[in-house]
Amino acid sequence: MSFFESLRDKAVTTISLLIERKDSDGVSPDELFCRQHRLPLGEKVLNQSAVEVGYLADSTKAAYRTNSYPQGKVYLTPHFLVFQDIYDGRSCLFVLHLSAIKKVERLPASSYGFALGIHTHSHINVKLYLVGLRSESELFSSQLMGALQSNKPQAKNMAFFVQTCYSEYLLAKNHVPSAETVNQVPASGLGLTFGYPGNLRELRDRSKMKLWFDLFRADGRNLSLIKTPTFAKLVRVGLPNRLRGEIWELNCGSMYMRIDHKDEYEKLLTDNENKHSIAVEEISKDLYRSLPEYAAYQDPEGIERLRRVLVAYSWKNPDIGYCQAMNIVTAALLIYMSEEQAFWCLNTLCDRIIPGYYSKTMYGTLLDQRVFESLVEQTMPVLWNHITKHDIQLSVISLPWFLCLYLTSMPLIFAFRILDVFFMEGPTTLFRVALAILKINGEELIKTTDDGTFIQILKKYFTSLDQRSEPSSTNPKNAQRTKFMDLFLVAFREFSVITDEMVEKHRTKHRNTVFGNISQFVKRTELRNLPRIANLSNDDVSSIYDRFYSIVRQQITVSGGSSFMEFELFTIFMSQICDFIDPEPTDDNTFQKQERFLKRLFEHWCSEDSSKLSLKDLVIGLNKLIEPDLLTSISNFFALYCENGKVDREGILTISEDLLFITLPWEMGKLHDALTATAIENAIADKICEQQEAVGVSNQDPIPIPSNIDIDKEKIESMQIERYLSAASTFIQRAFEYAQPHEEDVLISDLPVDHKLSHNAALNPRLPVFLNLPTFRMVILADETYELLFSSTIRGSIHIDTPTDGFDPMRNLRDMFDGLLADGREVAKKVRRRMDSAAHPGQLSSDNSSLKSRKSSKSHIEDDDDRDDDFSAIDIDESEKDFLFAAEVQALADPVSSKTDDSRHLRQFHDIRTDTQHSSKKANDNLIDFD
Amino acid sequence: MSFAPSTTSVKLVLLGEAAVGKSSLVLRFVSNDFQENKEPTIGAAFLTQKCTVGDRTIKYEIWDTAGQERFASLAPMYYRNAQAALVVYDITKPASFIKARHWVKELHEQASKDITIALVGNKYDLVADDNDSDDSLRKVSMEEGKALAEEEGLLFFETSAKSSHNVNEVFVAIGSKIPEAKPVTEELGSRPGNVGRIDLSGPALRSNLSDCAC
Repeated sequence: MSFFESLRDKAVTTISLLIERKDSDGVSPDELFCRQHRLPLGEKVLNQSAVEVGYLADSTKAAYRTNSYPQGKVYLTPHFLVFQDIYDGRSCLFVLHLSAIKKVERLPASSYGFALGIHTHSHINVKLYLVGLRSESELFSSQLMGALQSNKPQAKNMAFFVQTCYSEYLLAKNHVPSAETVNQVPASGLGLTFGYPGNLRELRDRSKMKLWFDLFRADGRNLSLIKTPTFAKLVRVGLPNRLRGEIWELNCGSMYMRIDHKDEYEKLLTDNENKHSIAVEEISKDLYRSLPEYAAYQDPEGIERLRRVLVAYSWKNPDIGYCQAMNIVTAALLIYMSEEQAFWCLNTLCDRIIPGYYSKTMYGTLLDQRVFESLVEQTMPVLWNHITKHDIQLSVISLPWFLCLYLTSMPLIFAFRILDVFFMEGPTTLFRVALAILKINGEELIKTTDDGTFIQILKKYFTSLDQRSEPSSTNPKNAQRTKFMDLFLVAFREFSVITDEMVEKHRTKHRNTVFGNISQFVKRTELRNLPRIANLSNDDVSSIYDRFYSIVRQQITVSGGSSFMEFELFTIFMSQICDFIDPEPTDDNTFQKQERFLKRLFEHWCSEDSSKLSLKDLVIGLNKLIEPDLLTSISNFFALYCENGKVDREGILTISEDLLFITLPWEMGKLHDALTATAIENAIADKICEQQEAVGVSNQDPIPIPSNIDIDKEKIESMQIERYLSAASTFIQRAFEYAQPHEEDVLISDLPVDHKLSHNAALNPRLPVFLNLPTFRMVILADETYELLFSSTIRGSIHIDTPTDGFDPMRNLRDMFDGLLADGREVAKKVRRRMDSAAHPGQLSSDNSSLKSRKSSKSHIEDDDDRDDDFSAIDIDESEKDFLFAAEVQALADPVSSKTDDSRHLRQFHDIRTDTQHSSKKANDNLIDFD
Repeated sequence: MSFAPSTTSVKLVLLGEAAVGKSSLVLRFVSNDFQENKEPTIGAAFLTQKCTVGDRTIKYEIWDTAGQERFASLAPMYYRNAQAALVVYDITKPASFIKARHWVKELHEQASKDITIALVGNKYDLVADDNDSDDSLRKVSMEEGKALAEEEGLLFFETSAKSSHNVNEVFVAIGSKIPEAKPVTEELGSRPGNVGRIDLSGPALRSNLSDCAC
């Protein structure tokens, strides 16, 4: 379990980092301004001024509100003129789209000094009395003129746009003199054809319509509406069916998207016609399962509209695509809205009002459920204690309320009333209603002890919303009141304390936990889908996962699913974990070699697309790279270069160059391999022995490790450097010596000249040769340094567990000598062994045999003939086994050559190896004999 | 935990890929009904059904979860305190079996330790007639299902919500595996303090043998 706990911790840190990064970017004041006034993102305040406002409609010549001069601030953005009352944002507010401004004039100077008269397309005259320095007012005025000028091309959309607004049609139909000419009923929702849910008389639809008609005439409409307290009141009593769509899009701001992105909806559909995607498939499955009780969704007309809007959105925002519940919300929108209206409204809903609700990880939904629980705890502690005591899963129960905006929980007519307020006031509406539901049913809910009864009570409540709450009341007003009205009152009066700020505060509080849980889940899922890996522990794979995503920088909680790593990022990845990969190579030569080698790895590891590496590819690749089995490790490396089991002349040269590149840190003495480490240990041990003997310490005493020992570091390091360089040159020499002639070009008689030059085959470009795996193995195994490279050195230089953060490329270059002294145990063991062997010479052999390795001493390490060589990485039995294994593999890989030949071949080779004095010339002769 | 000795409540969660028939299984079990075009489950649906297993009445509190891939991240909310789980796959869809394997591992790692899991291969009706023929719709063999169940210590059934084949059997088997439902444990279980600590029953122990989960 601790494994998963650590995963969780890691996931939390990763995600919180991501969040902090986002927060540090901050939300700009302009973005806040756009959110507050539901303007399209990207609008920015060009200028602002303190103003007093007066307005008058043409159609109501009477002194309608001429005496009221609300004070506040007016803001100019590239496409909008926004006024906000200084005392109460709701009492008077307008968001004028510049396209809706017909005329701006400078009014004759009054006591205020500077006044602008704005004439809108709704025939409302707005007077702006700018307060402030005259020069500033002049500037504001000229900037307004400039913005109007640059908005001119867009203003052309206006004529078309008014034809799509039912408000305009309503005025035209009733012959309001100032109305636009709108002869046709604007494209509207399915309700127009299939009827609206609910009883029109009961809903008082006609009276509501009349009130809106009056409001439109007096305060303007759509893009130039002045929102007064009456506006908010009319929204709260429930919108009339035919105006519902338009007011929704006006309140949520999607209307601005619609006018500024004319034709985009149609274009999305035509551009993606006949295209397939998972989202499109999922949408088709759910079309008949969306508000099926509404007649239009049993009819091709309704189904097709629903399909088109959902499909268009899935192409518009592929990150979200399609989430179940969107079908229900969209089906609801389409009853009152045209396709285009619904499309933009869905956009605004998913991207801005309830972001993350429908995302691939649904983080918004999960987060808001957590927020809801906190709000319950805060506002109804008794109920909350009861819920936790009985382990009732409140968030599970309330989740569909939020996700489907109550559309599946209560009768549609009531859900639409909630939506009316929701689009005006935002997501707090969902919380307020949810809290009110619990509050009203609190007394009953507190008696329940299980989820089932809890749900039953709420279900019963939802179906009874149309019933009178106090039918026997003597007060006729109370007797008329329905349970829904009560719900509304509790939600928007009692729970008006729930504000945007409060919700946001709770979201911030829980965000990390929720994101952490999600990323943990995503990670579990992805790791579980990886194939079984032999050389990597679960912790290793987990580290790789973290690093992969920290580099790919894809915010997994937002979009979910797997992603890919491109070559550049792969280089970063490898440079973080590999000692021989330099994040920033200083010279071009190294850079090119490094890139060539990495490119080779990258292309071999990519399984699908040769330009993208998946996490799975990466894990499989790394697993090969750190293969502990010597022979498998060699063949894995060979596989990077071979084609059809062979490597040609060019390939041999490339291999040798790449080996030189890989071993660069050792060639330069920056890192020490196992041989050097042992040599250093031995050197130190010798020194200590000398000192001990001089002092005359008894064998039984613990061996003190001095903090500073003076040994010839440079000499040992230079031996390593020499060893690596000689390994490289020996490799290329042997590779060409043992390389087989190309089968097709074996006609030696045709190549008499080449025959003579065979003693230096590498230099003859015309002799085609190739290297196969067995030969390559032989060549590698013939050199101790390269053998060690494949058995341990490469593996030891790859640090998969390097912390993802605070990576320090210098960590491995710390002084090995100090490290050895600081640890001291190994050295102490050696010293003890030396002292023991000095005291009891006869025991040396048995002592040695107990050591893991007793590989014969090597010439590189001087005067160590009578000393044990603790090459912990090399096991003699292991290499014996390897040889047998190699023979087997060779026989399998190369069925032409006989088994006996192979073993002879190898035995001979083995002889060469063990005899270090053997000249390469002799080895050559042996093998040529054999061939 | 129920105090009435004759009724045991069992919180049961259904998991599995979309459209494998989770809701249909529940509908068959709860109302003995079947619908071709069921509304999608948003989040999770809650249903209850009482059933007599042996000499006890078991009240199943069923959380039927949404199958769409992205709803998977909500799953921990549902299985958090479930005592039993039905991991459902479609025997004609191999991908759904892979998903089932994932859910089993997820439950073993994350759900409560003594959860009883049943692996259910649904849509048996599609292969009932031509089980052995080469062009059979069956893509996940019964052996594969059994092997996974054995490896992970699960109950295993092939069912058809449509023909109601084996549906009740799954729920009855789960019921009889819940420790409190065992006749042996019933006597002990009725004494307060012993409830939940009884693990004399073989099946309950077996369900813990999930050591090969990693």
